[in-house]
Amino acid sequence: MMKTMRLVSFLLLAVMAFTVMTGALPCFAVYAEDGEPENIALNGITTIEQLNGKRLGVQTGVLYEDLIKDELEDEEWLYYKLPNDMIPALENNKIDAYLIEEVGYYAQRYEHPELVRLEEAVGQCEFAVIVGNNDRQDLLFSQIQEFIADRKESGWLDALYDYWVKNWDPNTCKIESVPETTGENGSVIIAIEGGYEPFSFESGGEFSGYDVEFMMNFCAAYGYQWDFKSMEFDSIAPGCISGKYDFGMNIVVDEERAENSVLSDPYYVCDIIFVLEGEDTRNMGLIEKLENSFYKTFIKEERWKLFAEGLLRTLAITVSSVILGTLLGFAAYMACRHGNKAANALTGAVDWFIEGIPTVVFLMILSFIVFGNSHLSGTIISILGFSLIFGCGVYNNLKVGMGAIPIGQTEASRALGYSDTQSFFKILLPQAARHFLPIYKSNVVSLIKETSVVGYIAVMDLTKMGDLVRSRTYDPFFALIAVAVMYFVMEAVLVRIVNRVEFSIDPKRRSKEKILQGIVERE
Amino acid sequence: MIEIRNLTKEYEGVTPLKDLSVTINDGDIIAVIGPSGTGKSTFLRCINLLETPTSGQIIVDGEDITDPRCDINRVRKKMGMVFQSFNLFGHLTVIENIMNPQITLLGRSRQEAYDKGMDLLDKVGLYAKALNYPDELSGGQQQRIAIARTLAMDPEIILFDEPTSALDPSMIGEVQSIIRMIAKTGRTMMIVTHEMDFAKKIANRVFFMDGGSIYEEGTPKEIFNNPRKDKTRRFVKRMSTLSYRIESRDFNFETVYEELQPYAEKLLIENERISKVQIALEEICVNNLFLNDEEPNIYCSIDYSEKSDVLSLEFKYAGTHYDPSTSDNALFMSILEEPTTSMVDEVLENSGKWYDNHTLIEYRWEDEK
Repeated sequence: MMKTMRLVSFLLLAVMAFTVMTGALPCFAVYAEDGEPENIALNGITTIEQLNGKRLGVQTGVLYEDLIKDELEDEEWLYYKLPNDMIPALENNKIDAYLIEEVGYYAQRYEHPELVRLEEAVGQCEFAVIVGNNDRQDLLFSQIQEFIADRKESGWLDALYDYWVKNWDPNTCKIESVPETTGENGSVIIAIEGGYEPFSFESGGEFSGYDVEFMMNFCAAYGYQWDFKSMEFDSIAPGCISGKYDFGMNIVVDEERAENSVLSDPYYVCDIIFVLEGEDTRNMGLIEKLENSFYKTFIKEERWKLFAEGLLRTLAITVSSVILGTLLGFAAYMACRHGNKAANALTGAVDWFIEGIPTVVFLMILSFIVFGNSHLSGTIISILGFSLIFGCGVYNNLKVGMGAIPIGQTEASRALGYSDTQSFFKILLPQAARHFLPIYKSNVVSLIKETSVVGYIAVMDLTKMGDLVRSRTYDPFFALIAVAVMYFVMEAVLVRIVNRVEFSIDPKRRSKEKILQGIVERE
Repeated sequence: MIEIRNLTKEYEGVTPLKDLSVTINDGDIIAVIGPSGTGKSTFLRCINLLETPTSGQIIVDGEDITDPRCDINRVRKKMGMVFQSFNLFGHLTVIENIMNPQITLLGRSRQEAYDKGMDLLDKVGLYAKALNYPDELSGGQQQRIAIARTLAMDPEIILFDEPTSALDPSMIGEVQSIIRMIAKTGRTMMIVTHEMDFAKKIANRVFFMDGGSIYEEGTPKEIFNNPRKDKTRRFVKRMSTLSYRIESRDFNFETVYEELQPYAEKLLIENERISKVQIALEEICVNNLFLNDEEPNIYCSIDYSEKSDVLSLEFKYAGTHYDPSTSDNALFMSILEEPTTSMVDEVLENSGKWYDNHTLIEYRWEDEK
């Protein structure tokens, strides 16, 4: 059993590695050195008009495409969750160019010198801070406005921008001195992307970057304790509008947004440009590239700790949800078993609602609407959400499993004098278990996989940690493989545990000694 | 003693039980017979409240079990039930099927329950199957174990709900002989059955049910041999016998042929044998007896015994004797000479009854040997 599993794991790993390698090969391709000092795009595009009819990438939620849409024809937009995911997309010819703010391009070019920009900018973007829609909104809004105005005037904001953005160097840039705060006015929750150099990124277990240093100084100035929460970019604004977070960073100012939410004055402005693929002149060998990639993914800044932390959180969410969900589903089944109208109506409604919407939407509804104003942590909300989802599965499994038991089993046991409860636990459940455990097992596996969306509600699970590391390394290879392997191992372990349970409760696998325990046999 | 008063069970649009009242005495062995859909099983299932009666009372040893305050689980321990579909617990071995209810419900020790179980398995002839699972056994074996499971609870009454209906014909006998064995111990029993032979032999009271109530009640002799009421008579006769009194030459044989067809279908008799009966009927009655007597007086019956698989045609008649073996009908004669056909022809001397002559022709299906 163990041997087969090891073999299967190895094979799977090999297949995955091969797939990713072939897919990623262009990014390891070694280009011949040429003497040309000026790097131009491989496809020869130098002007915006030449992008007509091309496939273009843009990050979800930033809305940069609105600046240029009217000038292009037949173009196709592809949306990416992380700005850095557009680099491999470009290298694999999934897109021909992508839009990014100038500052992001500088950061990316440090690791990917082959990237080139179009000189012409598509427009400028102003970036503001969104203020959470809760009872402190008015106060926080006036304070952030005052802070931005003051710091602009004193030149501090420009200096900060120069340091982090214009002169960006990932090896040297860091928050030199963390400002002291009294924290006397409580804490504020600040929503950041967390995987977005140089504005917010993870560095040695702490968040760092322009946004982070900016908000630390705000907090210090007004006596707040900061609490940074990292999440998908497109969750930042909804989270603040629901009042869950007090501030959200890096919000592109546009009219529609300004109407629906409270935005500060811009705290920085920058050009939005197209980036294309140029020639890689670094001439690095494959092994060297792999080594470099491995080092960046796991060793540098002890990033393996991020993976470990994410793994533990995913495991905690999964195991808690499996346990709570099983109890919940079982309780719901017991309440509904005899056709109690209220219980059935309630369970039916919950089941209908949860089964009908995608997991991530359900989680976001829980986080931003149901618990929008509470300070429950994302992990707790995830456990609640997944317990409900898993509970629905258990409830339906039990219904199916019990339905497979002939009515005669109930009748025979009741006719013998078994009470309803005795009949359920001693006669029906052991037989139904054989029917529902196999489905239960596959539910556990899909639950593990489904938890990978918790990044949307600011939970740093394994997938999100992988994203964070990927956004720092500009290299998807090892981070993705590591995450895949960890999910696979987690699944294998949990399935093994359920198998054990299944095996141990299977009545037909009992030995004769067990069946006749404590009995003097007759010949 | 169980007293049933005005028992009614209604579903929407159907009333399987209508105002049924009866008393079951200790030691009674009651066979419940009647056409399908007349509430026999519903009646039985109401007695242990597997079906909740719509109205009426069921008084078991002085206690009204339809009273919501009554602890039905306690009462059910005194009432065994054997189902058409056996309903052994599929996840338990045979011995556990018999042991576990005793342990859980009667508080017996494991050893006690085991000993009792093994004794009963011995009685039903399945001692060796103690550690098998139900799905490894034949239907007949499963039903014998279900009976042992019921007996292990030492019930005061056992309700049998068509215990042999789901069985292969070859297994009916083994189950019936176990039930007969229990009957000899004097335990109160109630059996819903379609096996008239069995009902006749085992019961001391027979309930003929029709239209949701007990239409006629009596001893097996009264019900099977001398039913008083019309429907009972028709039911009992129709089960296996078609009989006609022929008192005129104008007798319409078409009605006989029309009744023979559904009769054959119901009892699964081959068309070939039915046509042999028709040929004989025509040859003996129309071609000969009618010629001999202007005013015939013939009693004719067609009978089929499922057990021995013999279809028989019997004539009793007054007047001149006619020996069918002297027939000049070649087809009739060739059938008579077949090894599967046998005939008894006799003159009833000094019978002093209505008929002077008796002819019995029996048709068997081909012997397998």
